[in-house]
Amino acid sequence: MTSPKPRRQWPDWLAGYALLSPALLVMAATLAAPVIALFVLSFWSQTGFDIDRSFTLANYWKLIEPSSEPMVWMGIPFPFAYPVAAILMLKSLVMSLVATVVVIAMAYPMAYFLAFRVTRHKALWIILLTIPFWTSYLLRVFAWKIVLGYNGAINTGLKSLGIIEAPLEFLLYNPIAVMITLAHAWIAFTVLPIYVSLEKIDRSLLEAATDLGDSRWQRFWRVTLPLSAPGTIAAALLVFIPTVGDYVTPTLVGGPGGTMIGTLMQELFLRQDNAPLGAALAIVMMAIIAGIVALFLWAVGYSKMRERSR
Amino acid sequence: MKRIQFIDRMAQGKMSRRQMLSQAGAFGVGLLSLPKLSAAAEVLTCMEWGGYDVAEYFQSYVDKHGAAPNFSIFSGEEDALAKVRAGFAADVMHPCNYSVGRFVSAKLAVEIDTSKLSNWKDIFPALQTADGVLVDGKVMMAPADWGNSSIAYRTDLVDDDFKKNESWGIFFDDKYAGKVSMLDNELLILIGAMVGGMPYDEAYKLTGAALTEAAKTWGEKGVKNSRFLWTDASELQQAMASGEVVAAYAWNDVVKNLTREGIPVTYAKPKEGYFTWFCGLTLLNTGKADPALAYDFIDAWLSPETGKTLIEGSGYGHANIKSFEAANPDDVKAMGILDPVEHMKSAILFKTPTDAVQNEQNKVWGELKALKQ
Repeated sequence: MTSPKPRRQWPDWLAGYALLSPALLVMAATLAAPVIALFVLSFWSQTGFDIDRSFTLANYWKLIEPSSEPMVWMGIPFPFAYPVAAILMLKSLVMSLVATVVVIAMAYPMAYFLAFRVTRHKALWIILLTIPFWTSYLLRVFAWKIVLGYNGAINTGLKSLGIIEAPLEFLLYNPIAVMITLAHAWIAFTVLPIYVSLEKIDRSLLEAATDLGDSRWQRFWRVTLPLSAPGTIAAALLVFIPTVGDYVTPTLVGGPGGTMIGTLMQELFLRQDNAPLGAALAIVMMAIIAGIVALFLWAVGYSKMRERSR
Repeated sequence: MKRIQFIDRMAQGKMSRRQMLSQAGAFGVGLLSLPKLSAAAEVLTCMEWGGYDVAEYFQSYVDKHGAAPNFSIFSGEEDALAKVRAGFAADVMHPCNYSVGRFVSAKLAVEIDTSKLSNWKDIFPALQTADGVLVDGKVMMAPADWGNSSIAYRTDLVDDDFKKNESWGIFFDDKYAGKVSMLDNELLILIGAMVGGMPYDEAYKLTGAALTEAAKTWGEKGVKNSRFLWTDASELQQAMASGEVVAAYAWNDVVKNLTREGIPVTYAKPKEGYFTWFCGLTLLNTGKADPALAYDFIDAWLSPETGKTLIEGSGYGHANIKSFEAANPDDVKAMGILDPVEHMKSAILFKTPTDAVQNEQNKVWGELKALKQ
């Protein structure tokens, strides 16, 4: 009998990376590599049907190049020579922000109900919540088109009730239709993280607050809401970040007035045949979103919050 | 080393790592040097206009090969061009007289060997040598379908003023704001310029400050008044059937289909003129399928059977002379003009601007749409 071989001991961090490696490899191939390619592309330029591979900052300059004649859009002056990008960036941010606020406002009570009022069959409730996800996103967008359409559910309903004479035309093909669709599409994503953070709250804290004389509202404001904030913030980011660059929703329900930054990027890459400018726009958009998210987290004191809820 | 011996020794663990590697290496080299297996029959990939992906337009291809090719649907040739340039491997594309040149400039189109097309002899001789079919003296597009672009409108929902004086001005008339629909195409700017009095021969090559000006004066208004900019004819058809849209830029098929459904719709002859076009099939060099498949597909499109379907189903003309004998005489009669050359002369034939102008118009159009408030 031989003595057992001394096992090679890996340092913990290395073992950690080894365990992560499948995920890391996938991420490197499908996320990091394309982003690097996009970054490199943004420093090239398009000449006719070909791409000029010499280094240039012209694409970035084009996005911020000032102009003495500001273009006024919705009453806001944009002092750029190429104002389209800035205008659509702002518009997309505002539209996503509204969608995010609406989603959180609707998801929070649902999550609260699920965490505090439902005692039996919780799993069933959660499954019910995911039912909209059993169909594809595209189908859900088309469904909204049918609901909001000229001869759609809302219009025919109101008409048969005698409330309106002619179909309402402002329902579809505008930014509001885009925001409604986005809000509906993302709501289930937000209920779950908020639910988890509410579920984690130690119920004895709530009892203590009541014992010490807090009313229901005071208890909610001072205990429940702060303790569920990390989940709520995570949920808000989960909606805000992907919706800014959304392309399919504005294309289908937005009409000419509901365009967002993703639409412009598609235009640049395909129809306008200027992939380098599209790449620069994508990089700038990522930077702006990252900046906004960092600012937001700093403003709400997210790191402290996480320590507290641990 | 003999194979059996090799396996035996390997199984007994008698093989050194070095021997093992050298054998494995030899095996790898062997694999590489084998003649490449003929790629398992690659399916033909075609870029088509929406609605043209129905088997009845290329029945003989389906009969011969048992299945339809793969389709990628585009809403405008510029989209298709961009997609191919971005790496999409298509074998056949369906451009038109005014857009085939773009594929040639981008070095994507391949000359067609007409001797491989059994139906070529029956193509209208004038079409065989028309501009767009021939590019620099080479056949770059096999002509297939021809038709119009004009305003389709609901006779029950527009005013008599318009009916008496049909004009492209309806797209820029506030009375019809939100009730018209234009194709998602920079043509809207040019049409605006035409309403403003510029002939098409000048408008199609609008560029620079004049283009920007036309985009501001006419384009913005037209985009704003459009309920939506259509990319899909069936979407437009539904909107016109419900009355959501009362007038739209449309091809013959929309009028034909709506009339068949009993909806009161007619095709305008605007005072500024209406457009004609002819389209066809172009071979691309990006494809992976056997070119013989592509030729079969093109030949199917040129057949009189397809022409009969086109004439009876959509009210379009066809490039094959025999199609008009095969089709239902009533449908043929309804078309009015039966000779493609006469047809082209009857209205404004779309023209190809230079690549630089086309790119600039694409850009102006893109920005115009993006900024609609």
